[in-house]
Amino acid sequence: MRRPQPGVAADVVIVGSGASGAVAAAHLAAAGFEVVCLEQGDWTGPADYMSDRPEAELAWIEKWSPDPNTRRGPADYPLTGEADVRPVMYNGVGGGLVQWAAMWQPLLASDFKARTLDGVADDWPINWSDLAEPYAQVAREMSVSGLGDDPALPELEPYPNPPIPIGRIGMAAARGMDRLGWHWWPGSNAIASRSHRSLQACQRRGTCMMGCPENAKATPSLTHWPSALAAGARLVTGARVAQIPIDERGRARGAVYLDRDGVEHLQPAQVVILAANAVGTARLLLLSASPRFPDGLANSSGLVGRRLMQHPYRTVTAVCEDFLDSWQGPWGQSIYSLEFAETHPDRDFVRGTKWMVMPHGGPMFAAAEYQEAHRHEGFDAVWGPAFHRAGAEVFGHAFTWGIQAEDLPEDANRVVLDPAVRDSSGLPAARIEYRVSDNTRRMLDFNVARAVEAAEAAGAASTMVRDIWPTGIGHVLGTTRMGDDPRCSVVDRWCRAHDVANLYIIDGGVFVTGGSANPTATIMANALRVVDHMIQSRASQEVPS
Amino acid sequence: MSGTWPTQTQRLTLAQLADILVAEGLGMPAASAVGVADGLLDRCLDAAPALAEPLKALLDEAQHSEPDAFVRQLAEHRPDDFTVLSTAVVGAYFLSAQVRRLIGYPGQQPSPLSVAGEPDYLDMLERVYERHPGHQEYP
Ligand SMILES: Cc1cc2nc3c(=O)[nH]c(=O)nc-3n(C[C@H](O)[C@H](O)[C@H](O)COP(=O)(O)OP(=O)(O)OC[C@H]3O[C@@H](n4cnc5c(N)ncnc54)[C@H](O)[C@@H]3O)c2cc1C
Ligand code: SF4
Repeated sequence: MRRPQPGVAADVVIVGSGASGAVAAAHLAAAGFEVVCLEQGDWTGPADYMSDRPEAELAWIEKWSPDPNTRRGPADYPLTGEADVRPVMYNGVGGGLVQWAAMWQPLLASDFKARTLDGVADDWPINWSDLAEPYAQVAREMSVSGLGDDPALPELEPYPNPPIPIGRIGMAAARGMDRLGWHWWPGSNAIASRSHRSLQACQRRGTCMMGCPENAKATPSLTHWPSALAAGARLVTGARVAQIPIDERGRARGAVYLDRDGVEHLQPAQVVILAANAVGTARLLLLSASPRFPDGLANSSGLVGRRLMQHPYRTVTAVCEDFLDSWQGPWGQSIYSLEFAETHPDRDFVRGTKWMVMPHGGPMFAAAEYQEAHRHEGFDAVWGPAFHRAGAEVFGHAFTWGIQAEDLPEDANRVVLDPAVRDSSGLPAARIEYRVSDNTRRMLDFNVARAVEAAEAAGAASTMVRDIWPTGIGHVLGTTRMGDDPRCSVVDRWCRAHDVANLYIIDGGVFVTGGSANPTATIMANALRVVDHMIQSRASQEVPS
Repeated sequence: MSGTWPTQTQRLTLAQLADILVAEGLGMPAASAVGVADGLLDRCLDAAPALAEPLKALLDEAQHSEPDAFVRQLAEHRPDDFTVLSTAVVGAYFLSAQVRRLIGYPGQQPSPLSVAGEPDYLDMLERVYERHPGHQEYP
């Protein structure tokens, strides 16, 4: 085992320790590479989790808010700008997978072919079959529980654990789909239904997005970092990367970072991998502008930061007379549906949505949603003695269909540097410019109407419909897209920057289109595909002088 | 935020405002009756400290107004301030053990799941298979 020493050149420096960075670190270190990972945040562990305390629901609105602008932790950088949907994320070891809901969903085969099939966006330079093996490998590493054989998906290797029971909420929703003759399938989640590898069996607490106190939800500090560190990788926390410096031949020299005291360091490396997510990586490339790369590093195409995709999201909550146990977890997906995932000639939009059933949370959440749904009836309909209607009618009796839409890549939806606002290290904040397109709005309107029908078919006495969520669902994609043509893509099919021969990007930024699936299964599978290729082609890798 | 905040006067004001939002009804107690303005408020602010500063300002302002009118005009014209007040009240209310008992909520307790035996949805899944055309390959 060779553990890289501070300041000494590493084989690889990885920026970001989240979903993709953790996969890269674990596999490269196991293959004998000297790996250093720079992470701006810190470790988060059971002592920080609020999930097992009565205050859990309150924690969600502030300390455990997924919105960095609300949470304002020391590692968070501000997200500015007037966007229809503003990204959310977690900045710390494990990245978004500290807070994620662990819904595990491979893309559809058609998602790689939007241009060929629907005449929109672009095809990916790779196909579903290129990810088949890595999908299976990362599903094992993440202890995924689920049922293979979904006829809507290409053949998947069976998941390592049986599906989590779908519970009363899932049964109610599935009966509705069965009555309508629509597709549904038991949810696949990176939550262990039984003790597996580093995970314990889920205890159904339902507070998965505030950290799992039972160690049942897959997160890199359990699934990847222990093996990466054991194999010699070095993880530096509190290291905010400010720039990727370049040598005279245009190769990346490593990463310049600021530590917690604001002291600047250079971590030299032969190869640089960016895994800072689609917002963080775009921001870092723009911060790395130089006389040689005046518009930002690796940006000769002008696409760095552009084509941000976020899966705009709406919900339909079914309120049933039956008691559904609906605060009980896990807060992954109980069941999902791909009924409306593909383009259909009779509809006035292209591409589609993925639906998933989730619990409805505790009493504070039930009251908040009830109030939002009934506010238009006036103050006395939701406050005063009427306040208790939410508890009597909704709490314990509801499930939610979440509907995430495939938003097409558009140049105007982008991440830029904020000219005025700075983070705690003095670096420009990321400014988000994002508008929900007409195609997406029509898609969501259509799907919400169908989800109301599905709720009614499930026996709902009433429904509560929410408009597009102004803060996103943590899916940030597309800002450094992959492609064969350097004029209209940032990285090649092996996720190497067209402009910089030893710079790789492996986070969700490389997505060409977003599909409608929750993206992490694909982000991790693609990261594994790329690092496997790096390992195999090590001898021919160009390095800085 | 420690020391004199919340003062007894501020707690009394909060109790009045809270009862307008969460009044007695449907077999449930009013907010002040379960101590929303007392220890539960402290726990609520501990869990969500950013509420403290704006809540304090609101309570000071409310002292000079008629409670019902004050809460209603917040709801109508000052949505951000109304959110601060209602979040503190509702958050504290649902921390009450008495309230949790009455609504049958044990909290987000562990409850082991079992994957033994056949799930009871298999007949429905069979039908998904039968009617689905199958996915398409794209080389
Ligand atoms: C609340 C929530 C729920 C979610 N639920 C799901 C789900 O159920 N299913 C699913 O598929 N996906 C889900 N996601 C999305 C999932 O978290 C992301 O897809 C995934 O984490 C992205 O992986 P990544 O490697 O691209 O980046 P991330 O995991 O975001 O990691 C990026 C890391 O880079 C670090 N970083 C950024 N900039 C710098 C810098 N300049 N210097 C040093 N470090 C830096 C960050 O601190 C962060 O730790 C959810 C996200 C959230 C927030
Ligand atoms: S429901 Fe399961 S995964 Fe979620 S927090 Fe509880 S034990 Fe963890």
